[in-house]
Amino acid sequence: MTVNVRTAAVRADGLSRRYGATRALDEVDLTLDRGITGLLGPNGAGKTTLLSILATVNEPDAGRVSVFGLDPRNAGERVEIRRHLGYLPQELGYHRHFTVAGFLDYVAILKEITDRRRRAEEVARVLAAVSLERRARTRIRALSGGLRQRLGIAQALLGQPDLLILDEPTAGLDPEQRLRFRELLSELPGDPVIVLSTHQADDIAAICPTVVVLLQGRVRFGGTPSELTATAAGRVWAAAERDARAHLSWRGGDNRWRHIGDHPPPGAELVTPTVEDGYLLLSHAAGAR
Amino acid sequence: MSATGGAAALSGSGTAEPADSHSAAGHTIRSPAPPLRTALSLARVEASLLTRSVLILAGLLAGGAVIWLTIRSTEPLWWNAGWRIGFGQVVLGMAVLVAAQLAAARPRRDAMTDLYASFPATAGTRTLAHLAGLVGAVPASLVLIGAAAMVVQLRGAIGTPSIAVLAGGLLLVIAAGAAGIAIGTRFPHPMAGVLGALVLFLSSGQSHLPWAAGLWLYPWASFGDQLGSLPGPLTGYPPADAHALELAGLAVFAGVVALAITLSGTRARGMLAAAGIAALAVICLAGALQLRPIPTGDLNRLVSMVTDPASAQHCATANQVRYCLYPGYGSLLPSLEAPVNAVLAHVPARPAKPLTFRQVAGLSLPDSTLTHGHPDRQVSQWDARANRAPANLGGSSGSSPPASEVYLPVGSWPAAGGQLADAHFDLALAAAEWAVRIPSQAIGSIPPQAGGSASRQVPLACVPLDQAREAIAIWLAIAATHPSVGELNGHLNVHGVVGEPVTVKVGSSMVPTWIWAYPGSNDLGGGYAPDAVSGPGRGPQTTAAGYLLAKAMTSLPEQKVSRVLTGSWARWLNWHTTDARLAAALGIPMPTVPAGSQQPGNPVDLLCTT
Repeated sequence: MTVNVRTAAVRADGLSRRYGATRALDEVDLTLDRGITGLLGPNGAGKTTLLSILATVNEPDAGRVSVFGLDPRNAGERVEIRRHLGYLPQELGYHRHFTVAGFLDYVAILKEITDRRRRAEEVARVLAAVSLERRARTRIRALSGGLRQRLGIAQALLGQPDLLILDEPTAGLDPEQRLRFRELLSELPGDPVIVLSTHQADDIAAICPTVVVLLQGRVRFGGTPSELTATAAGRVWAAAERDARAHLSWRGGDNRWRHIGDHPPPGAELVTPTVEDGYLLLSHAAGAR
Repeated sequence: MSATGGAAALSGSGTAEPADSHSAAGHTIRSPAPPLRTALSLARVEASLLTRSVLILAGLLAGGAVIWLTIRSTEPLWWNAGWRIGFGQVVLGMAVLVAAQLAAARPRRDAMTDLYASFPATAGTRTLAHLAGLVGAVPASLVLIGAAAMVVQLRGAIGTPSIAVLAGGLLLVIAAGAAGIAIGTRFPHPMAGVLGALVLFLSSGQSHLPWAAGLWLYPWASFGDQLGSLPGPLTGYPPADAHALELAGLAVFAGVVALAITLSGTRARGMLAAAGIAALAVICLAGALQLRPIPTGDLNRLVSMVTDPASAQHCATANQVRYCLYPGYGSLLPSLEAPVNAVLAHVPARPAKPLTFRQVAGLSLPDSTLTHGHPDRQVSQWDARANRAPANLGGSSGSSPPASEVYLPVGSWPAAGGQLADAHFDLALAAAEWAVRIPSQAIGSIPPQAGGSASRQVPLACVPLDQAREAIAIWLAIAATHPSVGELNGHLNVHGVVGEPVTVKVGSSMVPTWIWAYPGSNDLGGGYAPDAVSGPGRGPQTTAAGYLLAKAMTSLPEQKVSRVLTGSWARWLNWHTTDARLAAALGIPMPTVPAGSQQPGNPVDLLCTT
């Protein structure tokens, strides 16, 4: 089996998936290249379903996926894809009686790193990457939620995967750790394909050259954060009073109201939009909120 | 809508990279580890987890306790002890089953199925690893076997351990672990493993299970056998080789089931089906082998050894006392001789007829685990012969030992539930009662059973009521073996109630009796007897008065007592010589005898008058 990790990436064509009467994904087309792609979307938008399909954990009802030119419907190719995959599910349980290092060692074996020395090196590397070296011998049950999230990220990094799928990796991380996480992703060697889903628009703006907005199971936007921001240009105002016509409005730290909408409130001044503004406008347009 | 981050860069079949080389983009093209190597690496971890499992440790301790409890009260006969060690492995097996179930169900129980599904190591590889990881339970099993074997050996084991029986215990643990993995791959809830362990325990052969002939087909037969009273190993009882084969088949079958749940692929499933069929065939074959009847010749030999011990025994004479033992029991001789010789050293003159200690073996028939497959008529014949065996003392048709013989029942040395010191005291007392000529029994009549035939004349234990020779015999036994105060203090008891002697009726007298009582004392012929010996020293004939007088005699210097006894030995042996005369001769007051409670329905006992 041949894998071209140099040029090939990930492609999804017409992916659909239903859970009973709920349509989680509706004919999603997606092409992902190397670098970090941020997946934005509200709860229930289908992000987790999409990521689990890309991670070969779930199968779509319709459509097909290609990862590095391999088809996960084929058992052999599916295993090959997994050899190049690092995955952090949204809700990850842990073997609480394992130590941190023991757990990573176990996962490394599951990732077919059977050479003991190489495994030890890998475990040390990812522990350092998430700053958990001093917790190596700590039982997982003794870790806080944030530390466990870092452990989850560490296990995904094992084996230097070419495809890294992270479902809400920054959930539970404190601000400092979120910055450290951004740094970590930026420094990953080999320019892997990274897909991360998040509710944190500022994370997307900070580290993702590409952003995809998924709403109601459909891809509503694909482009750069600047392009997403640009969709809100001329539609974000700041005013002293609340305007009922605005799609969304909230009072900021400066005690002024920020409005997103098509009509300027009286006495409002136009402000520079953010990625979040673009995303919120898209959400509103899709009727997802 | 299409979302793309830059130029699409997909390739259906890119250029092959050399193994473990780095691409231009810096990625490592890994040469995948074969699934077997991954399975072995995982197995190493799983084995280590099992070895360090608290559950396994608990199983080891509980198994050890069970083995100790079951072997401490029996004579260390290897053909019996090995099987009991195996029963301890059932307990360890239960722990291994639960631990293996927990391990196999770990991803689901810990909500990690999605993550595990993203790994290249498949569920089948993981199951294979769990199965191979069962090697982690082997050290616990071996420790249990080794420690128990050492204890049996240190207690003076008779015979040699059967590798098939001991290996069977190990295979049982492995089979239990494989079953735990099969359960865990399908049912992640921890209770599933607990239920599995319970089934294993309940399916370990119990005597109340309906198909006694198929006792050996259960994972482990724990009760209902007569192994502990056989005079030697009986080939095919239990059918250890075939049973080990069955357990191996069960282990493989459970492993196949576990793999069948997790493995996919037509070829793999085909191979599994073949392996499963082969395992079932082995189990069936082993079952058929286990159900083969024990050869008639072997059973004939066994019945002969039981009914006519002399025909099979070797006798050795030491200090003019004969010790007749079954083949293989020679190592017992020194521990038999020591207390007997110590008694005889105090005896001024021995009876004319030499004393003989003879082993006897019990056989309880009909027993379908032993005689299945043989015609009823043949079994009835064996039953009739076995009923006349010397070991069936006190039974309606059992024979009685001659006055100069003491029987040593196989399986009761040291005394059941007691210590070697107890057994030594029993022997000493038996030798002393022979020396002072207390008869073992007298012929009495048993009243007719309800709706049964007329009263029957049978040998019954007699009571040496107010006979000085009784106190002398007890004193001789005490002087020979020096039992601790604690050991002697519990003598005036009934069924463990200290200080409350049982009262028997002798003629018109109510007589508090003394019981050399410890767990396992048997009720023979309406009385009580030590287990380690049967003969002159058995029965309830020893009275509380005799015991208390003997105890009082121990407060005197041994030389003084010996001088008094030696001076009028013949007079002391006369059954008319009373305790009071002995006390007067020794210059000690007669002890006060506490009143005792009468056993309901006790028959009238006989006075020893010879």
